Amino acid sequence: MNASIFNIQRYSLHDGGGIRSIVFFKGCPFRCPWCCNPESLSVHPQLMFKKSLCIQCSLANGVCTSAVEDCPTKAKSMIGEHKTIDEIMDVLIRDKVFYETSNGGITLSGGEVLLQQVAALELLSACKKQNLHTAIESTLALDIEQIHAWAKLCDRFLIDLKIMNPQKAKEVLGIDIHKVKENIKQLIHLNAEIIIRIPIVPTYTDSSENITGIISFMHEVGLKEVHLLPYHNLGESKYKSLNLSYSLYDAKPINDKIVEDIRQTFIDANINACIYGN
Amino acid sequence: MLSTRLQTYKEELLSKPRQVSIERAVLYTQSYKTTEGEHVLIRRAKAIRHILENHELTLDTQDLIVGNRTKTPRAGVISPEMSPYWILDEIEQFETRDQDKFIFSTKDKEIFKNELYPYWASRSLKDYYQARVSDEVVEATKTRIFAINQTDKGQGHIIPDYEILLKIGFQGMLDKVNKQLEQKPTNHFLQASKITVEASIQYILRNKTFVEQELNSTTDVQRIQELQVMITNLEHIATGVPTNLYEAIQLFWMQCLILQHESNASSISIGRFDQYMLDFYEENEFNAVLLQNLYLKMNTIVFIRSKESAKFFAGFPSGYTMMISGINKAGIDATNPLSYKLLRLHEDIQLPQPNLSVRVSKQSPHDLLMLASEMVRLGNGLPQLFSDEVNIKSFRNRNISLEDANDYGVVGCVELSIPHKMYGLHDIAMFNLLKCLEVSMHQKTYTNYEELKASIKATITTYVNYMVEGSNLCDSCHANVAPTPFLSTFMDGCIDNAKDCSEGGTIYNFSGVQGIGCPNLSDSLYVIKKAVFEEEKLTYEQLMELLDTNYEGNEKMRQTFIHQYDKYGNDNDEVDFLGSELLTYYCEEVAKYKNPRGGYFQPGSYTVSAHIPLGEAVNATPDGRKAKEQLADGGLSPMVSRDVNGPTASLKSVSKLDNYLTSNGSLLNIKFSPSVLENDSGLEKLVAYIKAFNQLDIQHIQFNVQSKQTLIDAQNNPEKHRDLVIRVAGYSAMFTELSKAIQDDIINRSEHTL
Repeated sequence: MNASIFNIQRYSLHDGGGIRSIVFFKGCPFRCPWCCNPESLSVHPQLMFKKSLCIQCSLANGVCTSAVEDCPTKAKSMIGEHKTIDEIMDVLIRDKVFYETSNGGITLSGGEVLLQQVAALELLSACKKQNLHTAIESTLALDIEQIHAWAKLCDRFLIDLKIMNPQKAKEVLGIDIHKVKENIKQLIHLNAEIIIRIPIVPTYTDSSENITGIISFMHEVGLKEVHLLPYHNLGESKYKSLNLSYSLYDAKPINDKIVEDIRQTFIDANINACIYGN
Repeated sequence: MLSTRLQTYKEELLSKPRQVSIERAVLYTQSYKTTEGEHVLIRRAKAIRHILENHELTLDTQDLIVGNRTKTPRAGVISPEMSPYWILDEIEQFETRDQDKFIFSTKDKEIFKNELYPYWASRSLKDYYQARVSDEVVEATKTRIFAINQTDKGQGHIIPDYEILLKIGFQGMLDKVNKQLEQKPTNHFLQASKITVEASIQYILRNKTFVEQELNSTTDVQRIQELQVMITNLEHIATGVPTNLYEAIQLFWMQCLILQHESNASSISIGRFDQYMLDFYEENEFNAVLLQNLYLKMNTIVFIRSKESAKFFAGFPSGYTMMISGINKAGIDATNPLSYKLLRLHEDIQLPQPNLSVRVSKQSPHDLLMLASEMVRLGNGLPQLFSDEVNIKSFRNRNISLEDANDYGVVGCVELSIPHKMYGLHDIAMFNLLKCLEVSMHQKTYTNYEELKASIKATITTYVNYMVEGSNLCDSCHANVAPTPFLSTFMDGCIDNAKDCSEGGTIYNFSGVQGIGCPNLSDSLYVIKKAVFEEEKLTYEQLMELLDTNYEGNEKMRQTFIHQYDKYGNDNDEVDFLGSELLTYYCEEVAKYKNPRGGYFQPGSYTVSAHIPLGEAVNATPDGRKAKEQLADGGLSPMVSRDVNGPTASLKSVSKLDNYLTSNGSLLNIKFSPSVLENDSGLEKLVAYIKAFNQLDIQHIQFNVQSKQTLIDAQNNPEKHRDLVIRVAGYSAMFTELSKAIQDDIINRSEHTL
């Protein structure tokens, strides 16, 4: 079994508890305008060019003629590769000692992990054989084929709630919010541990109406923990490198005060809230 | 928090210009002129006595602890008896040199040139060394294949017995020596020891008289009371045994000073202060002030070095290295309230000394690790951490008893030692493994990797032999020219054996030699193995051409070598084991040799700041490093900016070295951006990282936590950052007092963020 992934990031500190390695699955059917991982969107490998690394060693008429594999500095590189579960596990197992001392583990992220459910479950299963703590980061906005298996193999679900208004969610993100809610309810029914994550993006998700919507849903289903992810524009340069357009070019990083106010709103509603993850 | 008076004291320390002090040299020389013909041990003892009887005493009006090394704080005490030559050569450069600047007054320069230099030229330790050193050793030292370190200065690098003095006092020590003298009345060492112990008692009484004079000229009521207590304390501890922490610290400090007056050496270290001081300690505000005061006093002593030596040990580390926590002789965790206090005090002081070090074991309390992490977060690089599990195993592997191994301490930077039982010459030499690659590569055209590897091993063998020869000569120089009877009095076995520690009087007698450049060696070998022998991307001759021309006109190939071939520090077994095999080979070669004191050589792997000067001596290498560029810092740290998989991968790479073999000590720098350590959850993750470090059997780790921005700002605006303390290598120093080359090195070390 192969998974299409674009990165395995070791030493991640805010994505599911403790010190973790994150496997980034490639491909996402949704289009959040603020996405900071544009290289995750397409399922297919993509050419990335990082201008800052280029030493202009193979220019002809101002155009780089170097093949990707010959680029000395990796300014030119292909993003995304198909890896077997064993190959991925070889990397993940390397930091086992750190997972153990920190109560950390493995997090599957994306892209949207649910686009590759068979591979993802197989990877989770392999992690469980090594007694590793597992988590996924997902919108949960797709049909889940083997929900019992997910509930059994995944110790912690980090679920994004972004825009609660069904019509806006559909228009802006392409997300069916009813499906997200249904999936969450089913997982709760199966005793899954769920943490809600909210990207705080100016004008998109930071309105009091949206926050209130999230709070009332969390109250309805009995969820108690939320992580707030303040918007940053770190992804901007990646759009350039991929030759993609970025609709939030002009957006400024969100003001700390706004994020803190939102955190307080959750606390006042009896929901544990922290900025970034822990 | 520091009280206003100690804050004033601290500011004065940093603001006063550092002077070169010739006082000790003048007194030492006066004495030596009157003792011609006597045994060297007696001459040394009399010289120390003369210094203790005559050097100028001072007492800062803020100070509660009596005793000063020099008239002005942080003065550089020169020792022409070790070598007058470098001092004369550099006499006009002390104020302007890149590193470790000092003011040398015109009057003192004249005294040096007219009185000190003429006497010591031909009589110094350096002369003794030069007259005997072989051409091969000289040649190898010139090309910096290795460096022999203590040919022009005191040996130091030892932890004497502070505990015994606290228990029996100077009178008790004198009784011990006298008892032995009855058996061996003509023994020079015992005679010398007696002179120094008696002189110590008189020195404390002299300090008392001095404070009495101060008292007469003081009108401030509070100060009068303080001075009266100091006088009583000094009177009591001159011969008696301390009864409280104040007296214990006063006695301890007097011992520290006398040791300095004797050897004028770096790294006469403190050992397990939280263990032997515990009996005197109770938690109260006054005791906290005393300890703060002691920390500040340790920063009044710096160590002056030659320009060359200052490149290797930049920022004048004096090596008041203090070991905290760890298991006790019986193997039980010995963390105590004083351990916590000593760590916490760093927050108040935030200066390079004492060089705080914490032993980490499986039994370490979580609270202790949290506190250590909190101190690390302050960004001064303190404390550094040592793993009990691997370090005790390292010593067991060198036939040290389990009880003694359990009690290990650290001297100087990261050199592992057994308190009051080991004269380890821990810093006697540094060996440039990368230079061995360069030498071997030029010997012939190799057709396969195994052939090259065999040749590098042969080169290592050849030069280890010469390094041992140089080290052993230096070793005997110290025994013959600069024995240390006072220090030896506080080393187990010396009184019983009636022998100075430089002659092998104490229990464990090692010589510690550091193999450095292993990370660059791994990286270089991997490029050769892959690009030349496996992929045949270029021929061996083409590679040599690239290196000989310093990659001139072929930046593309250099970048290819840097980026297309994995590097040590990224947890790639194939790369990591290449260097590891050769470091192990070096360790095994070294351990075959004996020294003149009946002990063995033992290897270490740390660079201090030597990765810069030793790098200057190495041509371009296949890892993409250009000629003269620095080597990897630390000793075991990956080459700057080559570790791209984060700090867990770096630790994993380091863990693949045979870390228990480098029993003299090894060094690992890790740099975190401050954001990683924000809030308690950040600290918990550092604790988890430290626990993993311990489980991975790595000897040492230290952290720099300053943002690149802060460091660059400090480089550009030194006046705004005069108090910025930063980790260099096994010790911390004031950032703005480092040369630009070392500042740049620290700025460029890979910073792990999120």
